[in-house]
Amino acid sequence: MVEEGKESILQFAPFQSAVDEGFWHRLSSLKLNKLGIDESPIPITGFFAPCSHNQVSNHLTLLAESLPPESSEQSFMPAISHGNRNRCPVPGILYNTNTLEGFQALDKQDLLRAEARKIWDDILSGKVEEDSSVLLRFLVISFADLKKWSFHYWFAFPALVLDPPATVVNLKPAAQWFNTEEAESITAACNDWRNMCSTTDVPFFLVSLSSGSVAAIRHLAEFEALQRDGHKVLFGFYDPCNLPNNPGWPLRNLLWFICRRWSLHKVQFFCYRENRGFADLEVSLVGEVSMPNSQELRNLQNMPNAVGWEINNRGRKASRCISLAKTMDPTRLAIEAA
Amino acid sequence: MVLKQKIHDAFKGTVERITSPRTVSAFKEKGVLSINEFILAGDNLVSKCPTWSWESGEPSKRKSYLPQDKQFLITRNVPCLRRAASIEEEYEAAGGEVLLDNEDNDGWLATHGKPKENKNDEDENLPSMESLEISKNNTIQSISSYFGGEEEEDIPDMAEFEDTDNVIENDPATLQTTYLMAQEPDDDNILRTRTYDVSITYDKYYQTPRVWLTGYDESRMLLQPELVLEDVSQDHARKTVTIEDHPHLPGKHASVHPCRHGAVMKKIIDVLMSRGVEPEVDKYLFLFLKFMASVIPTIEYDYTMDFDLGSSSS
Repeated sequence: MVEEGKESILQFAPFQSAVDEGFWHRLSSLKLNKLGIDESPIPITGFFAPCSHNQVSNHLTLLAESLPPESSEQSFMPAISHGNRNRCPVPGILYNTNTLEGFQALDKQDLLRAEARKIWDDILSGKVEEDSSVLLRFLVISFADLKKWSFHYWFAFPALVLDPPATVVNLKPAAQWFNTEEAESITAACNDWRNMCSTTDVPFFLVSLSSGSVAAIRHLAEFEALQRDGHKVLFGFYDPCNLPNNPGWPLRNLLWFICRRWSLHKVQFFCYRENRGFADLEVSLVGEVSMPNSQELRNLQNMPNAVGWEINNRGRKASRCISLAKTMDPTRLAIEAA
Repeated sequence: MVLKQKIHDAFKGTVERITSPRTVSAFKEKGVLSINEFILAGDNLVSKCPTWSWESGEPSKRKSYLPQDKQFLITRNVPCLRRAASIEEEYEAAGGEVLLDNEDNDGWLATHGKPKENKNDEDENLPSMESLEISKNNTIQSISSYFGGEEEEDIPDMAEFEDTDNVIENDPATLQTTYLMAQEPDDDNILRTRTYDVSITYDKYYQTPRVWLTGYDESRMLLQPELVLEDVSQDHARKTVTIEDHPHLPGKHASVHPCRHGAVMKKIIDVLMSRGVEPEVDKYLFLFLKFMASVIPTIEYDYTMDFDLGSSSS
């Protein structure tokens, strides 16, 4: 918890990746039957959800459905059904190389910047207000060694860097921020938002409180209208992180969006987290940050710096590797089945 | 083992093809579920415990007797803070649970108190497991090599190019974390723990739900199924939990074998009925998941039930 008056840099818990075995199975089969030696980047879809068990963070997951289906000849965009609360889709891109050397030779800073550029452009163009999930773009580089059934891969979750960083004015559990009446109203509004098929997978939103402590969840585009009506407005997002003193990664690009769009000096945000699938204001956080030089940032011409390569299972900024020979190697499967 | 299991699988497959799906409810009589009852109970689970969802799985593995969008149930990223073996003692000491079927050496635990004495409990309509003797030695494949292991030499030494690969990002706003293996919160207050994806499929042969486990280690890497057994109650680890192909997902997964599910569910239902509670079929999965908690006691999936199990007849 941060004491008031004692400002410190707001630190974000990095997004974490998880890859379902099915993803590698489908990638292998796509590579063998459809892609061949084509190394063009593939649009993929990752899935995430707000933190739902307070002991663990949620992560961005790749499933078989993250890849385009093998059968469809024409469309290369994965067909994703919306409306599953545990699978909020996030647009991503996969660079799968043909050789290990090619994998190593990829210009990682360049690829990260290219993806961050899309986020930046969507912030400037206003596309974020139509589809807020574009603030969460990610990229994966991989080398699928189909002779050994091993997969080298590395995730990046591009985040635009605020320089100087935002500082924390106040950060505490949402239950302590709001009075009982407000908390009840917000909990009900959040549960409604999550239960609606059309909004359940919209990861960024506004929490508005009327003077009568009645809460409503609104789309980002409604910010100005709510302000005009004198509502108290917080910027909410699905927080995959479970930590009590840090917001998760998605807030980073949201802050840049707010800064660019409305040039606010102070921002109040709401890290929406759940317990067993329901809004839980004890684990959700509310914070207030101060954005230094917001006017300067608003007029920034060039794209800010971007960070976001994930650390691997050994705690280093490097790739991961998984071998699936046991379940994919036909020779082994044949021996086992004999 | 493999041959025996193959023969049984072929037999089971044939029976599944030629038997028409159960349409008359035998929920109370046999503890089994029809396909429609499975859907009903699954819908109820998803609505009461929203961490569970229906999924459609691999298109090539789709079962025609289940709706396309309701092939199986899954809850992902479920924390598992401790190994089952480490809590075995305190678990056995817990008073509420009673070992069922001790004479059969099946070792199922009932979580609903002492069951009625019922010696002749074998249901003749339930397929017998006798043709499929799963013994200690053959249940578990040698999996030391799963995902690497013996083929270590085939995997290029990542250390070689990690250094040249290093991406340096100096950013004061990134919370620095480390991937240490730890059961307890470490200094930065971040708990590293195993997580599980738990799925429930419908087993048409046994006419019961079936639970599958996919484990991830503390750094979110796929766990070898052999290690998954550490999170299974030791009474079951070598007997009732097998590693098999998932009916809707690729790869091998650990699964609680459903051969006794019907019989145990029947006992749980009997206990409830003896207490004057009339169990309702849409609550089946809550009872089932509570029963599964005796097999996988430390995997904290959600089956919260803050409502009545059925309508009380008293």
